Amino acid sequence: MPVVGIPVSLLNDRLAADLGRDELIEELQHLGCDVEGYATLRRFKCRHCGNIMEITETQQPPVLCRRCGADFSSAPQSLQSLGEGDVIRMELLAVRPDMFDPGGLARTLRAYLGAERGLRRYELAPPVARVVVHPDLSGDLCPRPAIACAVVRSVALSDDIIKEVMNLQENLHWALGRDRKHASIGVYDLERVRLPELRYGAVEPEGISFVPLGYDPADPTSSLTPAQILREHPKGVEYAGLLDGFERYPLLTDGDGSVLSMPPIINSEHTRVTDGTRSLFIDVTGLGRRLVGRTLNVLVTSLEELCPDVMVEQVQIAYPDGEMVTPDLTPQDVDLDVEATGLLLGVDLDATALTDLLERMGHDVAPGGQGALKVRVPAYRNDILHPRDLMEDAAIAYGYHNITPRLVPTMTVGGERRVEAVSRLARETLCGLGYLEVMTLQLTCERRCYDAMRLERSGDHVEVSHPISSEQTLLRPSLAPGLLDTLTVNAHREYPQRIFEVGEVTELADTDTGALERRRVAGVIIGEKMGVTDVRAAAAAVLREFGWGVRTCTAPLPQFLPGRGATIIADGEAGEREVGVLGELHPEVLDAFRLRHPAADFELDLTTLTGER
Amino acid sequence: MSTFRENEFHLLKALAEAEEGLLVGELATRLSLDQSLVMAAGANLVEAGLAAMTEQTYQEYRLGDLGRPLAAHGLPERRLIEAMDRAGGSATIAQLPDLAGLDKKGVGQCLRFLLAKGWAEKRGGALELSATGRLALSERSPDELLIARLAEVEESTDAELEEAGVDTAAAMKLLLGRKNVVRVKKRKLRYLEATEAGRREATTAVLRREVNQLTSAMLADGSWKDVDFRPYDMAAETEPLVPGKAHPFRRVLEQTRRVFLEMGFSEIVSPFVESSFWDFDALFQPQDHPARDMQDTFYLARPGRCDLPEDEVVEAVRRTHEDGGDTGSVGWRYRWRRKLAAEPVLRTHTTACTIRALAADPNPPRKVFCVGKVFRRETVDYKHLPVFFQVDGIIIDEQASFASLLGTLEAFYRKMGFDKFQFRPAFFPYTEPSVEVFVYMEEKQDWVEMGGAGVFRPEVTEPLGCRVPVLAWGLGLERLAMFRYGLEDIRQIYISDLAWLKETKLCQ
Repeated sequence: MPVVGIPVSLLNDRLAADLGRDELIEELQHLGCDVEGYATLRRFKCRHCGNIMEITETQQPPVLCRRCGADFSSAPQSLQSLGEGDVIRMELLAVRPDMFDPGGLARTLRAYLGAERGLRRYELAPPVARVVVHPDLSGDLCPRPAIACAVVRSVALSDDIIKEVMNLQENLHWALGRDRKHASIGVYDLERVRLPELRYGAVEPEGISFVPLGYDPADPTSSLTPAQILREHPKGVEYAGLLDGFERYPLLTDGDGSVLSMPPIINSEHTRVTDGTRSLFIDVTGLGRRLVGRTLNVLVTSLEELCPDVMVEQVQIAYPDGEMVTPDLTPQDVDLDVEATGLLLGVDLDATALTDLLERMGHDVAPGGQGALKVRVPAYRNDILHPRDLMEDAAIAYGYHNITPRLVPTMTVGGERRVEAVSRLARETLCGLGYLEVMTLQLTCERRCYDAMRLERSGDHVEVSHPISSEQTLLRPSLAPGLLDTLTVNAHREYPQRIFEVGEVTELADTDTGALERRRVAGVIIGEKMGVTDVRAAAAAVLREFGWGVRTCTAPLPQFLPGRGATIIADGEAGEREVGVLGELHPEVLDAFRLRHPAADFELDLTTLTGER
Repeated sequence: MSTFRENEFHLLKALAEAEEGLLVGELATRLSLDQSLVMAAGANLVEAGLAAMTEQTYQEYRLGDLGRPLAAHGLPERRLIEAMDRAGGSATIAQLPDLAGLDKKGVGQCLRFLLAKGWAEKRGGALELSATGRLALSERSPDELLIARLAEVEESTDAELEEAGVDTAAAMKLLLGRKNVVRVKKRKLRYLEATEAGRREATTAVLRREVNQLTSAMLADGSWKDVDFRPYDMAAETEPLVPGKAHPFRRVLEQTRRVFLEMGFSEIVSPFVESSFWDFDALFQPQDHPARDMQDTFYLARPGRCDLPEDEVVEAVRRTHEDGGDTGSVGWRYRWRRKLAAEPVLRTHTTACTIRALAADPNPPRKVFCVGKVFRRETVDYKHLPVFFQVDGIIIDEQASFASLLGTLEAFYRKMGFDKFQFRPAFFPYTEPSVEVFVYMEEKQDWVEMGGAGVFRPEVTEPLGCRVPVLAWGLGLERLAMFRYGLEDIRQIYISDLAWLKETKLCQ
């Protein structure tokens, strides 16, 4: 999870309460924030492009501008220090993007602490601008159908606030946008956008050219086609994957036909936001109307919290199937049953108490009849899918620390799986014989479990399609190679060594998932004068403690010396069944595991013995 | 009449036979016993008033490592006076090395002995042979005599040397500045002699046998009554023995299982190879959720696809994802694809096991748990492994509530040995409300996150036919083991050093 640094001063300015430093952290934790603690950040500004960069106390000041690439080591005067400030560092709570910035976080805290209950209202000016959405965007040629826009006027942004807005934009791309795939945000200088009518359309890869953000408009080679941008521009290369399979590319143009952006890749240089920008045009494009709308709602309401003087103006969106306006801050109405909420939380709640809790989470609440409340959920909340989500809001407002833990009063009788009881008997027996239990990795490779064991590569195993390493490509079909690996790493320890493992092996099988685990026990001994008789005695001891007799039959098993390998046949009430193998390991096997002493092993299938899966 | 143990018996007899005191060494030879045993038996007789011990001390002389070359070549100061004599009775110090056949260093080192013996005197820059020195030309000094004698006889006592005409006191004084030429050791001669009482006792003494080992034959014929058992050194250390042991992590796994069994849970199991349906879809994780990414989850080349459960269940899950279905949810609002749900994965959590159990029997009351391996596409390092153990549990109960979830978690962690908890809000895609459990670790002086839990969302339970609250939790177990055994590297669990397995105590 990304970590955000919330400037303490910006937060405190917006809290209608005076909280101590520790108290603030405690309240944030009660709200579900994963707080790391306080830290001091230093901020720098690039005098070339206005980009603001943050470093922690242990980091060195930047030598290059991350946005325009200006070199500060050769031109230190282009790096302006903006001083330092305390921040609260916390992990982003992906489901609550409305708490990513100091404005939104303060809004949540004000309500939670009771200073400003209920739904926060924002004034919106009626639309002047209109965006016409071309039908191509809903088709297969260029599937990025949704767009939401806003105009923000009277913007007077300080450097601090600009940095917060930049951070918020980036974090919204991560949390709601899935790295711009589901939603990507563009911010433009409104003065450079010709209103009222804009067009969100699809363009041929070579159908237009414009100067992308960061390129010099004076240089005639700066004007690139969309295809060129995807090949050459750093952002184009980074995000080209989002337009894989697109035959045309999304393009937002204004009344003059000049380009605002090619979503979700890059804005034009022409509409770049500068220090002098006083009004903004904002768009969010993506795959679904609900999500782009919510993303825009989070952004504009946090902007209003960060700079209360701004005026947000709606934009008319003309889809082929109808018109709508964005941002749409109409609350979402949810009916919540009072009794069901109290029962689910295990807390005594009446309508008054529940109303109080929900108001402290920023909702408006009205009586809904039949024991229900009508809850009006703010339009910047994207995580209320079901009334159950409001029950959690109520629980958080109540405070998890105030809930009295108790147990379910219903009596149930527990019980373990039989194979676990049998496994325990096997462990007890082998420990009694002086064997040490080891645990080895479930993932292995063909080289280890076939080649090194002198076995044919059978293919009768579960194989992963994109392994992390060539050592871990399949689920082990046998325990023996893991035990031999353990002997390898213990070559310098005292001999003889006796180890065993109880664990699962996996084989392909005719089940609903196509595979099946079997519980096995395997043991190995290594050292001079150690041999088949020792492991046969151990395997027989295990079977005897299960109540089974044992018989071994010489078998041509390649991992063992010829004439020194056998199958193990258990003999019980249900008759005889083959349950495993044992033998003295072939010198080539020992060599493959770099073992320098004779060794013998056995492996028994407990699943066959218990008949349980 | 008294009885004696073997050594005391024979020693007393030997002493009584002798007219006078006998050397311990001689007694040892006579009795074929080690001297120390003779001494021990003697001490017992002395204590009983049957014998007396007398000691006589003497000095023993031997040549040291530097003494042998001196014995062979003569003292360097003698070579100096002989050289001076040849040179007419005097020489400068610079001339001496050539004259005496010594190197400069050798000359320098022996000058002080030359002067101390008064064999020469300094006259300006030259040395002149003194009267004593001239006398010494024909007569050896006491140290020379001692060295010569010892070279002949290897070792000698002070009495013997005196007899041989060596003035050892004078010799040792002259050798004071010469280390490791002659070594002197103080030695004792011990004599044992029977007292009067001893001599009387010896005539009637009876032998009592002493044995090391109690044998089956002694038990059979009762002869153990006639012998003494030699006492052992009961304070002696023994070789460390290590029993065969269960793996330390196994003990954590078994404790976890035992705790849930004690709390009335039934144990369940599910396959490692799991359909995406049970691992993700049934848990209301949308098909484009980052957790389902190829980067994080192992998809399989073999087997190729999984069977999905009956259509009714699949259809209910599909509708819930797309628009909430009958659950009252708004859903995720995308087109759900059956093909993606049939893709096999290595299960990413044991919640796949509990959700299967819920689907198989959604009727309350039920309490089930699963301890098992799960798989995440992590690169191996000190805190990550691609395979690790989790425990998952669910309670399906009419009366289950979030408060009883907290109570169950608290009971579990108490039984696992923790006593300070915090419950903090959290987010998981398939539970609501959700909670993270933190326990206080004294060692770290901090709260440590231990596991996630929550009440299954209606979007999870209702499509599977369950209409009562279902409490659910999951917890990685390696972390618990690492805290318990103080491990810094998670790999230590699966790449077992046998020394670590032996050293880790069962009580830990």
